[in-house]
Order: sequence, then structure tokens, then C-alpha cells
Amino acid sequence: MTAQPVPEIVTPVAPPPQAPAIELAHVARWYGNVVAVNDVSFQLGAGVTGLLGPNGAGKTTLLHMLAGFLAPSAGEVKILGRSPHRDPSVYRQIGLVPEREAVYPFLTGLEYVRFNARLQGLRDPDKAARASITRVGLDDAMDRPIGTYSKGMRQRVKVAGSLVHDPQVLLLDEPFNGMDPRQRIAMMDLLGELAAAGRTILFSSHILEEVEQVGTQILVMVAGRLAASGDFRAIRALMTDRPHMITIRSSDDRKLATTLMSEPVVFAVELTPTGLSVQTAQLGVFRSRVAGASRSAGVRLLEVVSSDESLESVFDYLVRR
Amino acid sequence: MTEKGYVGPWAAIPEVVRVTFRQLLGRRRTLLLVLLATLPVLLAVAFRLADQTDVERFTRRIFDTISITILLPLVAILFGTGAFGSEIDDGTIVYLLAKPVPRWILVLSKALSAMAVAILLTGVSTALAGMIDLFPAGNDGVLATEAQVLAMVVGSACYVSLFLALSLFTRRALVIGIGYMLVWEGALSFMLPGIANLSIRQYALGAAKAIYQLPLQEARLSAETAFLLTAVLVLAALSLAIWRLMRFELPGGSD
Repeated sequence: MTAQPVPEIVTPVAPPPQAPAIELAHVARWYGNVVAVNDVSFQLGAGVTGLLGPNGAGKTTLLHMLAGFLAPSAGEVKILGRSPHRDPSVYRQIGLVPEREAVYPFLTGLEYVRFNARLQGLRDPDKAARASITRVGLDDAMDRPIGTYSKGMRQRVKVAGSLVHDPQVLLLDEPFNGMDPRQRIAMMDLLGELAAAGRTILFSSHILEEVEQVGTQILVMVAGRLAASGDFRAIRALMTDRPHMITIRSSDDRKLATTLMSEPVVFAVELTPTGLSVQTAQLGVFRSRVAGASRSAGVRLLEVVSSDESLESVFDYLVRR
Repeated sequence: MTEKGYVGPWAAIPEVVRVTFRQLLGRRRTLLLVLLATLPVLLAVAFRLADQTDVERFTRRIFDTISITILLPLVAILFGTGAFGSEIDDGTIVYLLAKPVPRWILVLSKALSAMAVAILLTGVSTALAGMIDLFPAGNDGVLATEAQVLAMVVGSACYVSLFLALSLFTRRALVIGIGYMLVWEGALSFMLPGIANLSIRQYALGAAKAIYQLPLQEARLSAETAFLLTAVLVLAALSLAIWRLMRFELPGGSD
């Protein structure tokens, strides 16, 4: 991705009451001429925060900077008041679930989590590993090699490995990938419990509904920029109220256009060489009325396509706001 | 100083060694290396059956042609580059890096694991071949076998250190290693005797002189020089690996 014009932040996150666990101040990261993250600032305290954005938005780059795996090209990153870059001791307080699926396939689930516990220097790694495995509900499979696990089980064993030392800050990159609905709910409940116990949790996702169910605070990234941040409900309302674009082909586009303009939910109709381009703020209502409107006009509908339902278009809308 | 409730970072060494052993030994290519390592032993049996068990003939035909020229560099380069390289390739290195373990402990653990596996494979092969073929030749045969095993130990330490460090700089460390083995040591060192100081093979052969003067004209370094250069190479390579791992960055990924 390349540098984009600066969008406005929608609703700034209020600084957390206590000292923030995560602080970013004007952070940027670029690779040559390519800007991956551009001038991002926020502070996070205890609780669950969703980092939302389409693929290529810079979420993983941001998480890698938070985890100390990448140095910012500009700005400052702090975890619990310290720079995580080149300071391995900070990992005593950080748990990390990377996006990549790979986990040592030759280790059993228990061996893998115990490996994490031993490298964390815990005095009773076996006890800590078993407790962590129970937390993610993998007791039945803990003696099986990870190579035999499903994608959802691998995600859970990664989470167990990251929790084994009870970190203050938990960073998760697309943690719900590959999980079935039941596993997702269990994982969401677990994150909620950890947040209630005072942990700071930041997880990335490109799926709006995942964030909706877990995070009360969200950060929305688009093209390396922080496009929106703040309370989820306020941003969700902006996303819901945005104009939707619908393309229609019919037996008489001009006649249908006249009829549709009388519908209150429609606020723009454009005749194009291939049909009609209709804008509405209430997609569901429009869908329920378009058939009746065409019937009353005596026009036959050939095709109705919602042309901007992709997540990217939602984010683009937020950036333009 | 150890934090309250935690054990010291040394406790990480056996765990990293254990996982690295399983990583290195569990791969399919290791089976091929084991098969290659049996070749000198099989040839030694053939020599013994043909009653050709003198030190010079064995050294030239088996040790020089196969063990130190092909088996040692191939095994040590593959294990050296694989110790970190395979984890970098599949992304599991993140599970090592996201730990409060000093980077020198990670490098040391990985290097020791790869050296141990390389020495095990090359040393046992050389020792068995020598016992079959050289021990009947008397004391000279025993000393020659010991010297050859020492060469494998020294060579393994050097190759592993150098190519483990290189694997932290480039994903083409294995290709560079094979190129080094074939071009630098396989061809150039014969044509340009002056580059003996920059040849791991020469360090290994030189070190063997501490036990026995192997009947090989191309062993150009004294034992003292060979040990000194080995120490310098291993220390420099592992220091470089530690420096690199402290600055190691993971890419941002697809998003």
C-alpha cells in the first residue's frame, strides 16, 4: 500500500484512567517507498480492544511493532511504559498469538504449552501448562501431536501458549481464524474474563461481527492509517447509516428511476449505460420495496446487485467521513 | 539476577535443545543424511573383506573422498542452516523470540544442538569405518581413526557456526553453503593453496594432526594454527548470530 491522504479520526479514544498498558505516539513504519503504518497514535488500558481493518491495512505490522518484532520508522511504541524493541525481558508481561498457523507439529499440545512455560522461566511449568490448556478447553487433545489438530485447535493451543505465564498484555493477530462458532464463543468469553481481571487485550480481525461480539473499544485501520477509534457502537452506527450503492437492470430503466425517486429510502438515482445506480441509506428496507415499486411502474426487474457490500467499502466510507 | 517466582534463563537451554533435536532429526532429509553416513561404513566393510586395510589407502579412498569432502560439509551445513532457518521459514521462530530469554542463550542452544547432531552422524560414521578397517592395522590405525573423528568434530563446529549465522542473514544460506562446499573447498582450494586459512576443511585436517599425521598432502595447516582459526571462526560466527538475532525483525505479513 502507499501513503494515503490523512483521514479524520471519528471518535478519539478517551485516555484510560490508569497508566496505559499500550501507548503509541505518531508511529509509522515504512519499507522503502511503501508505507505500512502511518502516524498512528492511541493509548489502551485494561479491557478488550478490537483492531479492525481489511487485509493489507497494516494490522499485523502494527501488532509486530507492539510485540517488539519491528522497530517503528518514526514515533514511539511503549508497552507498560517500556519500548518492547530489543528488550526480551518485556515478554514476561506480553502474551502473543501470531497470525501464522504454524506451530511445532511434532510436539503434543501439552509439550508445546510446557515449552512456552519453560521459556518463560516458570517454576512449575507442567502445572501452568495443564491449567492453561484447561482454560482453552483442549484437555482431551493435549497428548496428541499438534500436527493432527484442526485449524481451530491450533489457534486454541497458540492461545494457551500465550497465556501460560499470565501476561498483563495480550496481543492476538486474527485469533478467531479457523474456529467454529462454539469455539469462537468460548474464546470470546475467555478474553472477556481476562479483561475483567484487568488484562489489556488487543486483537486484530478483518471481520466486523467478531469485533462486535468481543470489543467495546475498536480501532479501525485503513491503508496504514487509523481511520476511526473509540466506542464500537458509535462507529458501528456510522457504518450502518452509510449510503449503499445498488445496481439495477430492468425492462425500462428510465421509468423505474422515476418510481424509485418517490421512495423515501432512496436519495439518489443515476442512469448509466448498463442500468440504474441507486443510493439508499437503508438497504434492507430498499430490498423489501424495490419489487413492489417495479410492479407498480409496470417494469420487469432483470437484475438487482448490491455493489458495495465489501468490508473495504465500509472502511473507505469511514475514511471519507 | 533471577526474578522472584521465576527460574534463571539457563533453564531454557535444555528445552530449546530438545525441540531443536526433534526438529532436525524429524525431517525427511535427515534420513538421506543417515544413508549417506552409512556409505563409509559399507566401503570399510568392503575394504576389509578385500583385505585392503592399510591406513594410507583407507584415508585416501574413504576418509578423503567421502567423509571429509562430502559427508561432513553436507551434514553440518544442512543442520547449521536448519537450526534457525526452518523456524524462520515456517514462522515458528516467533515462539522463541517472544520469550524473556537472552538471545545469546537461544543462539548457543541452537548451535550446540546442531553441532551435536552433526558430530553424532559424522563422528559415528567415521569411527565405525575406522574401527572396521584401521584397527587391524595396529596403533597407527587407532590413532588415525581418532584423528579422523577429531577432524569431524572440529569441522562440524566450524560449518554449523558459520552457516547458522548465515541463515539469520539470508534465506539462501543453504545454497551458499553448498556453493562454498563445491566451489571454494571443492575446486578453488586445490588450485589456490594460499586460501587454506579460509577453508574449514583445512581447519579440520589441521586439527587432526594433533593426534596423528594423516597421509594427506593437502593438509596444509599446523594443528596449533587450525585450532586457533577454529576458535576464531566459531566465536566470530556465533557472536555475529547473537548480534543478528538481537536485531531480527519479523515482516509485517499480508496486513
